Amino acid sequence: MEPLYLACGALLLTAVLVLWRRELSVIIRVFALQGAALAVLVGVLAAQENSAELWAVAAGVLVLRAGVLPYLLRRALAGAGEAQRETRPLVNVSASLLAAAVLTLLAYAVSQPLVELAPSAATQAIPVGVTVVLIGFFVLVTRRRALSQLVGFLLMDNGITAVGFLTTTGVGLVVELGVSLDVLLAVLVLQVLTTRMRETFGGTDLDELRELRD
Amino acid sequence: MNLSATGMAAAVAVGLVTALLAVIRARTAVIGAGTALTGAAAVFAGAAALAGGSFSLVLPGVLPLSGVALTLDPLGGLFVAVTGGVAVATGIYAVSYADTPDLRARGVQVALPVFVVAMVLVPAAANVATLLVCWELMALASLVLVVAEHRRGPQVASAGRWYAVMTHLGFMSVLIGLMVFVAHAPDDSFTALREAGRHLSPAVAGVVFVAALAGFGSKAGIVPLHAWLPRAHPEAPSHVSALMSAAMVNLGVYGLVRVGVDLLGGGAAWWWLLVLALGALSAVYGILQAAMSSDLKRLLGQSTTENMGLVLIGVGAAGLFASFGDHTLAALALTAALLHVVGHAAFKTLLFLAAGSVLHATGSRDLDALGGLRPVMPVTTAAFGLGALAASALPPGTAFVSEWLLLQALIHGLPAGGVTAAIAMPVAVAAVALTAGLAVATFVKAFGVGFLARPRSDAASNAHESPFTMLAGMGVAAVVCVVLALWPAGILPAVQAAAGGVAVSGDVTLRLDQATGALSPLLLTLGLVAAVIVVAGVVRAVVARRVRREARLWDCGGGPMSARMEYTATSFAEPLQRVFDDVVQPELDVDVSHHQESRYLVQAVEYRRKMPDRIERRLYRPVLSVITAWGEAGRVLAPGSVHRYLGYGFYAVCGVLILLAVTR
Repeated sequence: MEPLYLACGALLLTAVLVLWRRELSVIIRVFALQGAALAVLVGVLAAQENSAELWAVAAGVLVLRAGVLPYLLRRALAGAGEAQRETRPLVNVSASLLAAAVLTLLAYAVSQPLVELAPSAATQAIPVGVTVVLIGFFVLVTRRRALSQLVGFLLMDNGITAVGFLTTTGVGLVVELGVSLDVLLAVLVLQVLTTRMRETFGGTDLDELRELRD
Repeated sequence: MNLSATGMAAAVAVGLVTALLAVIRARTAVIGAGTALTGAAAVFAGAAALAGGSFSLVLPGVLPLSGVALTLDPLGGLFVAVTGGVAVATGIYAVSYADTPDLRARGVQVALPVFVVAMVLVPAAANVATLLVCWELMALASLVLVVAEHRRGPQVASAGRWYAVMTHLGFMSVLIGLMVFVAHAPDDSFTALREAGRHLSPAVAGVVFVAALAGFGSKAGIVPLHAWLPRAHPEAPSHVSALMSAAMVNLGVYGLVRVGVDLLGGGAAWWWLLVLALGALSAVYGILQAAMSSDLKRLLGQSTTENMGLVLIGVGAAGLFASFGDHTLAALALTAALLHVVGHAAFKTLLFLAAGSVLHATGSRDLDALGGLRPVMPVTTAAFGLGALAASALPPGTAFVSEWLLLQALIHGLPAGGVTAAIAMPVAVAAVALTAGLAVATFVKAFGVGFLARPRSDAASNAHESPFTMLAGMGVAAVVCVVLALWPAGILPAVQAAAGGVAVSGDVTLRLDQATGALSPLLLTLGLVAAVIVVAGVVRAVVARRVRREARLWDCGGGPMSARMEYTATSFAEPLQRVFDDVVQPELDVDVSHHQESRYLVQAVEYRRKMPDRIERRLYRPVLSVITAWGEAGRVLAPGSVHRYLGYGFYAVCGVLILLAVTR
């Protein structure tokens, strides 16, 4: 079960790296890495189950999360001009890392009942998936740039997918396909929105958008 | 498939097909005719059910979880028939009345038959899910109709908001009550509930009943939940006001009787004392407000509160008698209440349609700007006059019969049950009597000031009679009013069947021969007509002997009489307003301006009177201000920052997870 744990470790590490790095281009690269780790995780499960369907899903995950989505993000970044760095996150980097540690603890504490339901190598790794979800949410809350928010959203989705595969060994090809298409569509829409925001306001700092209320 | 089932199926089918036909251009005529046909089918179904042809139908696949279940028993049949009758008159009327740009809109036209179908289905529902779905459909369709003329001014939107909020709060209350009830029964069919109702603990049954009373009472416009009624009824188009006031509010009474008497099987005496008290309060307060009102349709709306109050007095008395074990008197009181429902539906339809005719011709509902309509709108005037007579509890009137029966039940109830009845019954009798007296004053004012004497505005003097279909709609209602007034024995067996189905086990026979109050409305009317003819004949004979001399009306030498010398609605109500000063507490404002030259010469006197609803002010304003303050406080939480909003979600998720981790 070494490869499975290795993949899970990579998943966790990349999520923490997203919090740590400020360069948006680095963040995107790390995100692509995470997509690859997720694909490896699915692949390991596929080998374990010996199911062709899961292999197909693993290939799809690899193409989408390590290829297409990072490509789209990079394209959005290329149009961003000078705003290449997450300069002033709402919570600074060291505090973010501490928060990540706390979130990991929380995830482990909460997932215990899930693990105890059916203890196996795969379910032992569920807390990692939950941690990735929580860290993704944390990125969404604390980062200012629209692009970092997008990465936070995708991080959450990666975490959810990971938990899904670890608990049920695959939620079915059709469901996975549907979710993937949704994510792709969301990214496309958000990319367009980011571009529009920049054209209209000259920046993508979400914290400056306060007019739209009541 | 028996007759009542056929009738119901026809009503629903015709109504829905009519609603679909709203796409065509000539939709007003089609929708009006279709609505009338739906109503006719409903009358047929209701009559068949009253004649003993009940039916039951279960369609499990239509609604998720519990399915649609329909049963038409005599009680439901009565309300279906009443609703259908109102729909016939209003449907015919709507053919011309709804032919205005605002009312021709497709959405508004669709809502009319849908509203009627929903109202027909409510009394036929045989499980909680069906009842609630039809109830909500009825509320939504009527809401669309209330705000149909929203271009007329902001007051229409305000009325719509009041109506929407109150009707949904009422719905919530009904929902809570019935859900508590269903939780103690195997499923949500009325049969199961009826069985479970016998074994409920008094506390649970009390909760169910009070919740149902609040919900159904707000639909019936019972004080203190009446605030929407005098707002929504005047602002709705008149045919819709007629449907709401004559058919929809009845369903509040239906719900109360169905849940309280039928499903819960009677219950404690305090329930019915509460109903009786609320009914008496609504009757007196409603008619008092109506007596002060100078807006024709608002007056009619407030009179609806009064009439529903009278009905609730009957229902409350019936429940009280039943809890004392006197089932014959209970049946009499319930019969009186249901008869009043029928009579009220007839004359309120007629009155609202006539008021709509006036509005159509003059564009005004303000009694102080009307008057002098008799020569230009003879048919409408006659219709309103007949309606006013029917509404005031005087002998050849529709309301007289039922109120007389009600009084008989209340008076004979004295020996039935101990101290409670000895206190409650005389008070109720007094309330009914006071209401009847005030109703006469109110309708004399509405008819005399609104239609007789001279026109007070150009709009009133330039009025014209309404088109034929509107007059035909009024004619249908008028005929029913006359029949109900002169020959109540014709409908009494049907009403007794409806009352007997729920109030007592077995048939109800009304025998008032021994009682002091036996009289025949037909003979009474014939006597009255004969007396009028004799008096008129004598006067003619006396007058014919003298030489006739034409002269101006006596005017104290002040020149020809003008419309400004007439009684207005405000001045007519002034003596009453003085008498009930402490109750209504009007806000008066008298402005006297003098001539520059002399302080003794008055240039103009301006008199303004506002009649705020006291119950509404005391009860609703604190609640509204608390809600507003709550909303203002809530704005602090929404500063517009995306991160803040995301943060709420994040903290909530983490909080729940921590809670899980700690408590597990």
